[in-house]
Amino acid sequence: MILLEPNSFVLEETLLARFASEKPEVVDITLVDFDNVIYHVQTSAEQRTLLTLSVEMKYFSQVVGFGAEDILRREYGDFLVPPATSQYQIALQFNLEQLPEDKAGLAKHVSMLKRNVLASPFLRAFEYWESQQEGAGPLMATNYRDDEAIYVQAQQDRVTVIFSTLFKEEVDRVLGKVFLQEFVDARRQATIQNAPQVFYSSREPPLEIRHLPGLKQDESVGYVSFVLFPRHFANAEVREKTISQIQLFRDYLHYHIKCAKAYMHSRMRGRVQDFLKVINRAKPDRSVAVADKKTATGRYFRPNFRQPVAAAAASQAEGGEW
Amino acid sequence: MSNTLRPYLNAVRSTLTAALCLENFASQIVEKHNVPEVEAGNTKEVLLNPLVVSRNENEQVLIESSINSVRVSIRIKQADDIERILAHKFTRFLMMRAENFVILRRVPIKGYDISFLITNFHTEQMYKHKLVDFIIEFMEEVDKEISEMKLSLNARARIVAETYLSQFV
Repeated sequence: MILLEPNSFVLEETLLARFASEKPEVVDITLVDFDNVIYHVQTSAEQRTLLTLSVEMKYFSQVVGFGAEDILRREYGDFLVPPATSQYQIALQFNLEQLPEDKAGLAKHVSMLKRNVLASPFLRAFEYWESQQEGAGPLMATNYRDDEAIYVQAQQDRVTVIFSTLFKEEVDRVLGKVFLQEFVDARRQATIQNAPQVFYSSREPPLEIRHLPGLKQDESVGYVSFVLFPRHFANAEVREKTISQIQLFRDYLHYHIKCAKAYMHSRMRGRVQDFLKVINRAKPDRSVAVADKKTATGRYFRPNFRQPVAAAAASQAEGGEW
Repeated sequence: MSNTLRPYLNAVRSTLTAALCLENFASQIVEKHNVPEVEAGNTKEVLLNPLVVSRNENEQVLIESSINSVRVSIRIKQADDIERILAHKFTRFLMMRAENFVILRRVPIKGYDISFLITNFHTEQMYKHKLVDFIIEFMEEVDKEISEMKLSLNARARIVAETYLSQFV
């Protein structure tokens, strides 16, 4: 469970369940994915066999500029319909009676929708590199979350990908720093010498994007640059893999920061148990003196810790001693 | 265990043992009240001189004693941001469970990370030497736990980074 999948598993499951079911049922399900992407799966009101998948993707208007619509037409051309409301940017419609043979394959393919849309700036950059033009290509920014963006720029011999990521919490920022430092250092290992170069700066944006207006410059922001070399995208198969991986960088990083926090929390829990054992050793063993007594209802009657003192005081007050 | 830790803990242990010489003492100011005098601080004549056992400026123990209660405050070593966060999380975690620990104070004294308050009622009902053992063990374990957590965090970060980057090969 170290790596994240590029597709949305829950979307794949949901679609496959609808595709495979004998009788078309009425569904209206909302699902979420990384980067505030929302999927809405709904059967049409008039015709039960029509299943519509609407996608809300805030940054869609940006990636349209990088050819996202061409990708959509190429990948999902048969199913593409105009979205019903302006809330959604993409809509796919499936006729459950006329589905292709490979239903699982189709569900898998559709669940890669977000990945395919977000691939557009990367593909555009790789095409620019292939065209062997002089100088640097255009800087393509995608604000995939509020205040966070991916910048992709092609150069003659490489493609630079810059992530800006925001750490909302102080703890996340510190842990994020540790993780990002390891990303920078990991490349020294002999086995991953071929991995893209990683640079990391908190606060100071890298040179490529320094001229952009409205960049946040405080402690909470981190900038991570990946330098992709032709060996990462020259081959078509490797190229697709690279895109899938690099898109997920932010989610991967934050996912593992959360995991680290959860681990520390469970560890502390265990340690507190140990400390409790130590302090309880200081209490004299009273089990011989007062055995567990049951009340009429079957519940246990356990005198509390200071019972003997209190009981003595009570009997004194009642005048039992006199 | 390093050379300076042993004498530090020994000093804390013997100071605590000496300080935990408590007797019941009702308030002289409010009738029928019996409060830990070290917390109330209203009766000057029953307070003893506070004492600091210090390993270095980041690791100190403050022991304030009085006739019926002792307050022990510990400052935990925090070398960098991560250790600071870990120490803070850990002490907060403990203090939220203070009722189980009986002698733990819910809020530390200013300038320290965690405080214990031992009253004469505690020493009457629990073994005094075991209470001292608990505080000493706590001091040992906290340092160990924090450095272990830090190491495991770094190890995790390394594995995470390597796994991610090795996919590109």
